[in-house]
Amino acid sequence: MEKSRSELGQIIIGVARDPLGLMGLIIVGIIVFCAIFAAWIVPYDPIAMDIKSRMQGPSAAHLLGTDQLGRDTFSRVIAGGQVALKVALPAVFGAMAIGLTLGMIAGYGPKWLDNLLMLFFDTIRSFPTVMFALAVVALVGPSLQTVVFVVMATSIPTYGRVARTQTLTLRNSEFILAERSMGASMSRILGVHMLPNIIGVLAVLAAMDIPTVIALEAGLSFLGLGVKPPTPSWGALLKDGYSLIRQTPWLVVGGGLPIILATLGFTFLGESLRDVVDPKLRKQR
Amino acid sequence: MLNFATRRFGLSLLILFVAVTVMFLMIRAVPGDPVQIMLGPRATPELQAQLTAALGLDQPIWKQLLIFYGNLLQGDLGTDVFSGRSVTDIVFQQLPFTLELIFASILWSASLGIALGAYAAAHPNTLIDRIAAAISVSFVAAPAFVVALLALLIFAVHLQWFPAIGAGEGFWDRLNHLVLPAFAIGLSWVGYIARLVRASMLEVMGESHVRTARAFGIAERRVVMVYALRIAILPVVTVIGVGMGFLLSSAVFAEIVFARPGLGKLVIDSITTRNYPIVMGSVLISTALFVVSTALADLINALLDPRARTAH
Repeated sequence: MEKSRSELGQIIIGVARDPLGLMGLIIVGIIVFCAIFAAWIVPYDPIAMDIKSRMQGPSAAHLLGTDQLGRDTFSRVIAGGQVALKVALPAVFGAMAIGLTLGMIAGYGPKWLDNLLMLFFDTIRSFPTVMFALAVVALVGPSLQTVVFVVMATSIPTYGRVARTQTLTLRNSEFILAERSMGASMSRILGVHMLPNIIGVLAVLAAMDIPTVIALEAGLSFLGLGVKPPTPSWGALLKDGYSLIRQTPWLVVGGGLPIILATLGFTFLGESLRDVVDPKLRKQR
Repeated sequence: MLNFATRRFGLSLLILFVAVTVMFLMIRAVPGDPVQIMLGPRATPELQAQLTAALGLDQPIWKQLLIFYGNLLQGDLGTDVFSGRSVTDIVFQQLPFTLELIFASILWSASLGIALGAYAAAHPNTLIDRIAAAISVSFVAAPAFVVALLALLIFAVHLQWFPAIGAGEGFWDRLNHLVLPAFAIGLSWVGYIARLVRASMLEVMGESHVRTARAFGIAERRVVMVYALRIAILPVVTVIGVGMGFLLSSAVFAEIVFARPGLGKLVIDSITTRNYPIVMGSVLISTALFVVSTALADLINALLDPRARTAH
């Protein structure tokens, strides 16, 4: 345990030394901080309507103005970050866990199972993400859970394929052969010996996947097919701003900039993490 | 090569078959009667029975699937619930608008990306190389629909340089209507392609045929443009083929933001009116488009680089 902690410390130090990585760390830190302490940061209740002060431009009282129902945009931006992470984190970790398991089974199990799982991955990947999302939403209706499900389903193949490739390369390495000759069970080999060697690469992938997920949630909410109103989401802000773009353009800016910022932050962090954890990956892309 | 092509397209067909079947079963597995959902709560029982029969929903599921595939092979994607028109006609009427948009986006972003990447590789570690790298990283991060909205706000609503709505009539007007959506979709690709071309250029520049060309005293400009770049842009072909799914997804959003006709707008409008046959038809066509373009990219790659043929 002690060893892994110092390893983690070294990774963080490595990321912080890289200027882009540091920037990513700071941006992600701010977003996570705002999401956790949203309830204390927001100056107004993000869903409280105040018809008297509707569609007001940015001012000292309302930093980013108000929307068509008089809700404070700044408060909704902060609370929107919470919603974005609430969708992104479970979806990414869920997809990673499932993809990892399936990928390791594909890489280590019998050939027919490998072929079957690869066909499964290829099939999911053959749907253009947004089209798949729209089809699912059309069938089961929009909600936060639907978004999480769609994101999980569409990103499982990415994790699965990487986990499979890693497992295949490790499969014939000496320490695995030694373990197998001593009669270790499959679950022990996969869980104790393979997993620690694969998880780092997948964690990097997950960090780089978070912005895609945030953008997809915002996109679906923008189309009115994501989280339901009055939940504050960056996409919902964009939707309100778009329908009244001449009257309340600050909503478009307030919803759009956090998405770009979050994407930048997680991308910088992910790329820097990749270089620190596994420099070889850089060439593969 | 022929062997590889057959295998690759066989795999694509299999994937498409599984994908379509899964989608078909998914629609049937949804709780609730699709007919009731389509017609709303006030529909009479006679009307419901009529539509159920018209959609073939009174048949057992395996028979429905067979009929569906039978129709599909004849190019029949079903009938629009409301207008009674053929879904195939409706989808293929909208498809050119989406393809036009995707093509325009690829065209400008790939040209600029290749130029930037080639220049950066020919002058590594100069100021321009660094600026190009910084721009690449920042633009990769921008989701197309956010860029589309900001572009709409700045260039169409505020500055009024470009039209905000529609696809336009006549060549120049259509081109004018394409500028902002194509800009939004292509922006993140410029940086991505530039990085890709730069990396593969640097690799190619060290190869022997480039060294030989230099040794023959051919002008450096010609070496870069003709001998190195020609090979270095190969990965771009693959990336665009595989990126078709992203491009389609971005196009959906761009069409909504700029109120353009196209597949994306068709799907969204059909979802709000619960017009399942059209949703299904559009998703199917776009999936087919994606699968075919991925396979084509693999084929082109295999044609140009024999090593790729054994990768699958």
